[in-house]
Amino acid sequence: MMKIMCEKMTILQAAAVLAVLLFLPGMVPAQEEMASAIRRYKDREASSGYYEEYEVMPRSRRIPVGVRGVGREVFPHSPSAAKVRIRTRLSDSHAGIKFYWNWRCEDCHVREAKDIHTVRANLTCRQCHGNEPIASIDHYRSPMNPIRRHAYVCAKCHEGASASFSTYVVHAPNPAMLSTKSSFPVLFYVFWVMVAIAVGTFVVFLPHTVMWGIRELFQKGEKR
Amino acid sequence: MNSETKNRIRRFSPVQRFFHLLLMLSFLTQGATGLARMYIETPWGKWLSWIFGGYESALTVHIWVGIFMICGFVIHFLYVIFKIDWRNFPGSLFGPDSLLLQPRDIKEFFQHVGWFLGIAKAPRFDRWGYWEKFDYWAVFWGMVIMGCTGLILAYPMDSTRFMPGWGLNVAFWVHRIEAILAMAHVFLIHFFIAHLRRHNFPMDRAMFEGSVDLTATRHEKPAWVARLEQDGKLEDSLVNESKIGRRVLFYLVGYAAMAIGVFLLAGGIINSPYITW
Ligand code: HEC
Ligand code: HEC
Ligand code: HEC
Repeated sequence: MMKIMCEKMTILQAAAVLAVLLFLPGMVPAQEEMASAIRRYKDREASSGYYEEYEVMPRSRRIPVGVRGVGREVFPHSPSAAKVRIRTRLSDSHAGIKFYWNWRCEDCHVREAKDIHTVRANLTCRQCHGNEPIASIDHYRSPMNPIRRHAYVCAKCHEGASASFSTYVVHAPNPAMLSTKSSFPVLFYVFWVMVAIAVGTFVVFLPHTVMWGIRELFQKGEKR
Repeated sequence: MNSETKNRIRRFSPVQRFFHLLLMLSFLTQGATGLARMYIETPWGKWLSWIFGGYESALTVHIWVGIFMICGFVIHFLYVIFKIDWRNFPGSLFGPDSLLLQPRDIKEFFQHVGWFLGIAKAPRFDRWGYWEKFDYWAVFWGMVIMGCTGLILAYPMDSTRFMPGWGLNVAFWVHRIEAILAMAHVFLIHFFIAHLRRHNFPMDRAMFEGSVDLTATRHEKPAWVARLEQDGKLEDSLVNESKIGRRVLFYLVGYAAMAIGVFLLAGGIINSPYITW
């Protein structure tokens, strides 16, 4: 008797749990992330998962490092206006840059925001570049330093990323630009050779086909 | 025999037609899934990728159909090796039934253009016109290029064991430009030549039905018909027109393919300013 009662109870309990599971909303990691139209890989990443707007920025403080050239003009973001690369070996690449805290990455780094990872995969800059301070790429302890980039950055999402894989140029330059000829010559030449083949095909075959169509339209004799 | 009703010349074997059908279907799928991803920033691209289950599953489809196409290409290659007339070997490659480009194709191209302009007589084409040979080889090399760069991009961890990672940047652009070239060529030029020019309007059924109209071919490929007649093979090559039901099916398939192609091309062009290149 007791045994049967017990079994009944367990069945009832199970049914109750099931019912609760059925009628409660499903478990969702975070509404905000689900809302993004293209959300991928984020769930795989081993980190807090919150970036940028959610971040509590540390108090702005002066880093007692003199950066060559900074502060010559009244309100420069950078004395070099990011033309000359003088900040590739700093532990904080933005040391001494005015109003850094009031801007977003893509306001200053326009070109870097136009790549597949940012535009299509919806990654945020910090998912690769990390928290403050953002180390320069070639700083000797930077996670972005090519000697450890594959392990510290790429492998967070790309399982098994090798050093070779990580030489992929994340912020690929526009292959059509003349400046790419010096920064990434192979891409530049291959791009233009391919474009030449494509354009060449159409320069020949488009007029050819149009003329053919017109000629046949006015051709005398039977049609078929 | 009553050759009255047999008014069509056999042109493509069932195997060849089957392969063309597979190529057609897989090419359209690759075009749609590829553009879906390329245009994911636009509503059009989102809609396209929705058809395939989203941005990521569009890639899954793209990769598997791509592998299917590579298999098809390998089988086609073996088929070609098998089909070569090895007994008359090097000579047979340069015969009129071969698809290899020959000097006469260049001559015929210029003569044809001369005919467009009314300054030359129409060339007497044999079995394959130069544009048909071009179509064949364009697909042939296109498959090699798309297949290689596609595999490199689909399996980056493995491919970067044999090449530097920045090769992916290059492969990506080669894949993209070649795809645009292939789609524009097929959806504009190939479709126009096969459907819309007066000789073929409303549609050249050769690749579906396997045969072409005798009178029309006498007109367009006189050297081929003459050669068949001379060799006494014409009678054997003649077949009946297929039943009306099948013909309707051919038109449906042909026009569906053309509609999809033109839709992809137009959408791609209209939306091209709105994506990050
Ligand atoms: C106020 C403008 C500004 C903002 C905002 C800004 N940066 Fe910078 N950043 C700069 C300047 C200027 C440099 C130095 C460029 C140089 O010298 O070539 C720099 C350098 C860098 C570098 C080092 C480049 C190298 O060569 O090693 C990285 C990485 C970087 N920024 C990433 C970011 C990220 C990620 C964000 C957003 C969290 C960000 N930046 C926000 C202006 C800005
Ligand atoms: C997928 C990881 C990744 C993401 C996401 C990413 N970066 Fe980078 N970034 C890199 C790598 C790797 C480099 C080293 C240079 C290279 O290979 O392109 C780099 C270099 C840079 C540089 C140095 C200058 C240059 O172009 O080489 C700047 C500045 C920068 N990133 C800013 C940004 C900003 C701003 C964002 C967000 C819009 C961002 N990055 C997002 C990986 C990333
Ligand atoms: C936060 C996660 C994340 C990190 C970190 C990351 N990636 Fe990615 N990566 C992605 C996602 C997501 C995609 C898929 C993009 C797509 O399909 O459009 C991708 C795609 C790629 C591709 C394929 C691009 C193409 O052309 O198809 C390459 C190559 C790549 N990443 C290289 C890198 C390298 C190198 C690094 C390290 C510097 C890196 N990734 C770091 C998430 C990440």
